[in-house]
This record gives sequence, C-alpha cells and structure tokens, in this order.
Amino acid sequence: MTAPELIALLPLLILALGATALLLLARNSVGRSWPLIGGAFLALTAALSATFLPTCPIEVGGMFSAGPYARFFIALWSLATAATLILSGPYLARRQLPSGEYSALLLFAAAGMGLLSSAVSLSGIFLALEAFTLTFYVLIAYNKGCSLGPEAGIKYLVPGGVAAGLLAFGMALLYVASGSLQLPAATAALLSGAPMQAIALTGLAMLLAAFAFKLSLAPFHFWTPDVYQGAPAPVTGLLASGSKGAVTVALLTITATLPAAPAFFQPVLIALALLSMVVGTFCALAQSNVKRMLAYSSVVHMGFVLTGLLCWNHPGRTAALFYLVGYSIVTLGIFAIISSFSTQKEPQQLTDYRGLARRHPLRALALTVLLLALAGLPPTVGFMGKLAIFTAAIAAGLPLLAVVGIVSSVISVYFYLQPVIQMYMAAPPAEESVTGHWSEYGVISLCFALTFLFGLWPGKLLEFLVRLTP
Amino acid sequence: MTGNCPLPLLTLMLALPIGTAVLCLLCRKRPTAAKTLALAGTLTVLLFAVSCFVLLPAEPGWLLREEYRWISVLGIRFSLGLDGLSLLMVLLTALLSVLAVGLSWNEKNRPAAFFALLLVVEAGVLGVFMALDLVLFYICWEMMLLPLFFLIGIWGQRGGVAAALKFFLFSLAGSLLMLLAIIILYVLHGQQYGDYSFALAALQQTAIPAGLAPWLFSGFALAFLIKVPLVPLHSWQADTYSAAPAACSLLLAGVLAKTGIYGLIRFALPLFPTVAQGALPVLAILALIGILYGGWIASAQRDLKRLVAYSSLAHLGFIVLGLSAWTTTAAEGALLQMANHGLTTAALFILIALIEQRTGSRHLDDLGGLWSRVPRLSALLLFFALAALGLPGLNNFVGEILILLGTFAVHPLQAVLAALGLLLAAIYMLRLVQEVIWGPGKGERSWTDLGLSEWLLLAPLAVLVLWLGFYPETFLEPLRGPAQQLLNEAVSLSQSGGMP
Repeated sequence: MTAPELIALLPLLILALGATALLLLARNSVGRSWPLIGGAFLALTAALSATFLPTCPIEVGGMFSAGPYARFFIALWSLATAATLILSGPYLARRQLPSGEYSALLLFAAAGMGLLSSAVSLSGIFLALEAFTLTFYVLIAYNKGCSLGPEAGIKYLVPGGVAAGLLAFGMALLYVASGSLQLPAATAALLSGAPMQAIALTGLAMLLAAFAFKLSLAPFHFWTPDVYQGAPAPVTGLLASGSKGAVTVALLTITATLPAAPAFFQPVLIALALLSMVVGTFCALAQSNVKRMLAYSSVVHMGFVLTGLLCWNHPGRTAALFYLVGYSIVTLGIFAIISSFSTQKEPQQLTDYRGLARRHPLRALALTVLLLALAGLPPTVGFMGKLAIFTAAIAAGLPLLAVVGIVSSVISVYFYLQPVIQMYMAAPPAEESVTGHWSEYGVISLCFALTFLFGLWPGKLLEFLVRLTP
Repeated sequence: MTGNCPLPLLTLMLALPIGTAVLCLLCRKRPTAAKTLALAGTLTVLLFAVSCFVLLPAEPGWLLREEYRWISVLGIRFSLGLDGLSLLMVLLTALLSVLAVGLSWNEKNRPAAFFALLLVVEAGVLGVFMALDLVLFYICWEMMLLPLFFLIGIWGQRGGVAAALKFFLFSLAGSLLMLLAIIILYVLHGQQYGDYSFALAALQQTAIPAGLAPWLFSGFALAFLIKVPLVPLHSWQADTYSAAPAACSLLLAGVLAKTGIYGLIRFALPLFPTVAQGALPVLAILALIGILYGGWIASAQRDLKRLVAYSSLAHLGFIVLGLSAWTTTAAEGALLQMANHGLTTAALFILIALIEQRTGSRHLDDLGGLWSRVPRLSALLLFFALAALGLPGLNNFVGEILILLGTFAVHPLQAVLAALGLLLAAIYMLRLVQEVIWGPGKGERSWTDLGLSEWLLLAPLAVLVLWLGFYPETFLEPLRGPAQQLLNEAVSLSQSGGMP
C-alpha cells in the first residue's frame, strides 16, 4: 500500500485499528465506561478526519473511493456510531454487559458501513456488506440474558446468509456478463444491446433481492420486526439508521451508473416500493409494541427512499439522500429515547409509555417531535424529506408512487400518534420510571435540534447533497 | 422588503405568538407569569392588527408585503401579504385569541403548556391568513392543527382523545392531499417556465392540463371544506366542538372554520378558475344541504355545544352559498359574514362555558330559569342568540341579507331555500333561549352573576355585534376590493382560458 492510499483510507483505518486495539485492551469491562468513551472518541476522530482530510482521486485497490461522497458518509456513520456508543453506557451498565467488546464491535460496524458507502466495485460492496453484517449478528444477540436477543440474532443470521449467497451469485453473474467487477463497467452489461444481457439481468435480480433483504423492503421484510424487538435499543437505532443507510448509499452508487432502469426492472422496483409502503403501513397499524411498530415504519420509509432512487435522475437521488440523512437522525433519536427509558426491561409496549409526559416532560416532548418527524409533519426534517421525494417522483413521472406515499402518510399518522397519546393523555402508573443519564440527554437533544434545524433550514444540506450526489 | 412600513410587521406578528409560547413553556413552575405572558402576547398582536386596520388605507390590492429568501434550492420563499380580507381575518384571529386566553384564565391543569399551545395555534392561523407561498402556507396550516390535537386530547372533556384523533386524521387527510396538489402544481410550473417556485403569484400563471385540473382543485377543496366543514365532511365537527375545552371550541368555530373559506378564496378559486366555475353549483348545493341539515339537526340537540356546532354548520353553509353565487353583493356578504359568524359563535361558546362553570352542566334538560338567578348573563345570552338568528340591527342580519340578495339575483330558488334555513335558525335559537333562560329553575343553588373579567370578555363582542349591525360600512369597505378582485381575477383568467 502506498502512502496516498493509506491517507485515503485513514478514517476507516482509525475505526478498524481502534476497534482492534479496544478488543485487546478492554478485558473485564462489565460496568466500565472507558471503552465506550474511547470508542466514541475514535469514531469522532474518524469523522473529523473524513471531514477535513483532502479528498483523493485515487481508488484504493480499485474497490474503494475516497471522494467527497464516500467521505461524507464515512463521517455520517462514524458520528452515528459515536452517538450510539455515548448513549449505550447506562444501557449496558444496567444489564451488566461488557462494554469493551461492544465498543469494538460497533467500531467494526462503522468501518464496514463506511467501506460500503465508499465502495466502487462489486467486490468492494460484497466485502463491506458482509463485514458489518457479521458484527450486527453479534450485536443484535448481545444481551444473552434476554431470550429475545439470541432469537433475533438467529433471525437476522439466516436471511442474512441467504442474502449473502444471492449477492455473491448475482455478482458472479454480472461478472460473467461484463467481465469486470468495477462500476460502472460491471453494470454496462445491463444496457440493452450488450452481449449476455440476460445473464446480467439475472445477476441484477439476485443483487437487488439481497439489497431488498438488507433494506427490509416488502416482501423481504419478515425479519425486521423480530430483530428490532429483540435487539438492544441502541443497536436497533444504529441498525435502522446506519446499516440501512449504508446499504442505500451503495444501491445509489449502483443505480447512478445506469441511465435508466434496465429492461423490466422499473415496474418490478415500483411494485417493491408500493408494496413496502402499503404492507408497512398496514402492519404497523396493528402493533401494540413500539419497536415492532418502528420496524414496520422503517419498511415504509425504505419504500420512500426507493421512490427517490426510482426517479433515475439527479434530483431523485438527491432527495433520497436527503431523506436518508433526515431519517437516520430521527431514528437514532427515537431509539436513544427508548434506551434512556429502559430499566432491566425496555419500554416496548404502548402501555409502558403511559403518562410519561408528566414525569419526564423533556424526553416526552423530544419523542413526540421525532415521531411526528417520522410522520412527515412540518416543521421537521421529515416533512422536507417527503416534500423533496414526492416532488422528484412527480417530476419524474411517477405519480402513483407519490399518491400511495401520501395516502400511507395519512394512515401512518395514526400509529405514530399512539405513543404520543399514551404519554400525554393517559394517567401515569404508580411505579417510578428511569431518569436518564446526561449522555443520553446529549444524544437526544442533538437529534432533536437537528430535526428542527434541517426542517426549517434544509437549504445548506440540500445544496451540499446536490453537489455530492453522483 | 416591506411596502410602506419600516418594520417587518407581518413577520413580527407571526413571530410574537411563537416567541411568547416559548417563554410560557419556560415558566412552567409559575402559572401566573405564564398566563400573564400569554395575555400580553395576544394583546400585542391585537394591538398590531388594530393599528394596521386603522392606519392602512382601505384600498384594493396588497396593503403590506414582506418577502425573504428561505429555501432557495426548492424555490420556497418566506413571503407574507396582507390585503383587506386577510386583515379582517387577522383582526378576528387576534381578538378571539385574546378572548381564548381570557376564557381559560383559571386553567389549573398544566397552564403553561396550555397557553403555549394556544399561542402556537394563533401563530399558525395568522400564518395561514398571511402566507403567499404555498409551502409556507402548508406549514402554517399544519402548525395550527397539531397543537389543537394536544389541546383537545389533553384538556378536553370525556372522549377528548378520540375526538382529537378524529379531528386530526380528518384534517390531515385533507391537507396531505392538498400537499400533493401543491407539489404537482409546482412541478407543472417548473416544467413550463423553468422556474421552480411555490409562490402563489407564480403558480397562478401555470397552465394546467384539462384532465388534471379537477383533481388538483379537489385536492385543495377537500382540505378546505373539511376545515369549514361543509356537508358531507362534517362528521368530526360536533364531537370535536363538544369535547374540546371552551377556548378551543371558540377558536375552532370562530377562526379555524374561516381558514377553510379563506383558503378557498385565496388559493383554490384563483388557482383553478375554470374548474372553480364548474364547481360552484356543486358547492351551492352542498351549502344548501348544510344550511337545512345543520339547522334541522341543531333543532334536535340537547347539548348546548353540539347545538352551536350544528348551527355553525348552517351558518357556514350561508357563507359558502354566498361565494358560490358569484355576484359582488353575495361575495361581499360572504366575506363580511366570516367575521360576523366568528363573533357570535365565539360569544355563544363563551356564554356556554360560563353557564357550565356555574351549573356544572350544559345539557338542556338540566338547565332552566337562569333569568331569575343570573339576569345579566341571561340577557347577554338572549342578545347573542338573537344576533345568531339574524335579528335586524345585529351583525348576522347584514351578512345574511347581502348573501340572500346576491343569490336571489342569480338563483332565486337557492335563496328561497336558504331563507328557510333562517327560519330553522329562529327555531333552534329561540328554543335554546326558552329552555335555558325561562321556565322553572332546576336545583336550589344560586350563582354569582357576571363578574368584571367576564364582562371584559363579552363586552367587546357585544359592541362589535352592534357596530356591524348598524354601521357595517367600516368593515365592508376594506372587503370591496378583495371581493371584486376575487370575481374579476377568476373571470379575466377564465376568459384568457387559463389553458395553454
């Protein structure tokens, strides 16, 4: 490896080497908070270096780029990981879980997500995707004491294995057809008139199925509610924001290499997006478990993001990225609040939220605002995201997606309001609930502030993303 | 960029209630400070509105305009404007907000949050009446709905949560479809002119394909008619009005209902002139159904709040009928009636709240013989009930007679049917008066009559009711321009085709 390549990879190296160091240093770390603080520090350093290091034109090993697009998302996922690490302290301490391994695993995950966001070849995508999925298998099952955790881990492992198989095979087929793993050469075989287009299309179908698994697009979403429910709340937050986000970013890299959807893929993908919106909305309506509700809601939101990608133009992709950033902030905040309310047991049932507004007005207010941001009400970032996505969809001639999206937004307000109703309009139970920790408050207030900031002044971020989008 | 005012007055009017709301939330531990702040905030807004009304010349067109860059990438600008119509609505909103704060003065349950939410509602409504950018308008529209959900759900009476949810989902269904229509208009305009903008003036130039226009119009109309509400979109109304705390019922009926009609006038009709012309007969029929059905149902109500709710349905039908007649007289009458209805309904809701505070009930079966115990309160109830049923010399008469005259000139049958609605109004209002004020008293207790603070709530309304009844010219004059503009703009656009 040459020095420029090392500099290009520096943010990711900080994450990966830091994680290794933590793994070696932190033994018997139950109840200790220094591994988490150290991990957060490493993640923040990575984010800073990704922001301020000059971007390099070179591609490392022909697999990973170090351009502004990659750097931005490395910074974003590092920040998300840092936030997760910071808020996990009290959560882990209450459950007597070791923080060293946890911190290392999260940093590995961050490195994987960053790698995936900077991948410019199919092999790079595969390596990065598997790298962070592996850490998530462990992280989801991290709480051995809770029976749901290991179950959730297995439920993520099995479809994940299938998805990995599909991904590898799809990439192989694309390689057969195009003779290259590099983007955009690899996807050139998909264009009409290319030799062996049929094989390439089969490969793409498998590739997309694998991505749909990771993004939990309906009908590939069945693992989502169980995993959300069983995983520790901070991990769920990172899974919902960072993991899905990084996969979307990679999918966007692939779609940006194609001028339009190849062959019959447009209707299939539209069907996937529509199905996600409809199925997600109606399943979420029936939930009395908040984490499961959020799982189904993520299915709907991934449908929205896919809508942006389906425009196959620059504004659509920008809208999708903006939506993704907003969604990540909001979800991270919501799961931070859920973990800040956790005792030995997480508050998952709607009834666990009864009367919380009286005891904890600030966190109740924050949760309300973040849920309403998911519902897409102004003046939050959720509204601006929806505005951007639907505008792009209408401009690209996809009115059906916009109409279904709007209708599902109307219906979804019902289930987003359910926890709010419990918090504000029900009498509090007798037993005392947990007061939060300053670290949790910090993360929550950051997400809360950003939700409003990007809801009222999205201009700067949007302009930045316009320049960033491939 | 203000027209002729050195201060950004409109932005200030919008920012003041929000700022006060934040301050209110900060003094959660000191309820007296919170409510004093709320009162001061609403009074300042009222002062601004009144000085605008007194100082600005009554001329057609924009009296004040403000415009700032906001989100350039998406073509969203922070643009506000005030003309005769919006000025009158702002005045009404500011007055009724003060009354709403005054009426809830003794709120014991989390007062700071209550007043903060009321102030946010006020800001939202003011924004709706002043916004000239469709996204800004939409944001304000949601900003007035969301706090009401909490106000009704938390401080509402029994069934408040269900009513709040019903109200919010109804409103949101309408407004999200409107959002879709706004986005489609924006994209069409951008594709035609290469200038992506949400400004009302720009979008008005857009040529809309004939097949699409009715859909877009119905997107807007649905949002607005749900808010009015017009039959058959009214099923949320009676539940919400009766479950909501008194201050909210007052705002809902007095101001929120007007936002729907204002939206029709400012946005739906000018944006789609051709479709709007075709939709007018439908609106007229729905309005007539509203007048007769609302009056009929109101006559059967035993709960005072529900009775006033259904009477509102009838009165708002009159306003929509006046608009759909599309004559100058009727349009002026409709615009004036928006203010009239706001005043009388607000007064009735205040009186009902005062009666309920004293007797503990607002059910006709439990009430009776109030005159002998609280004569002043009863006299005011009589006065406002007579105003509501359209007694000559009081405010509603002026608006209704203008609407009826204007409608009769073009659709005599509609005017005759609507006049039947006046008869129904007399029936239910007089029955209310008869059963509440006269008759044998129920229960033993005697109550205090109106106190000073309660006089302060009702006296301004009474003065305005008389003023509008005897000399409506003060308020009609600034409305002439907007009424004429509404009719002309639509006509000139529809003559030029509004088509490519």
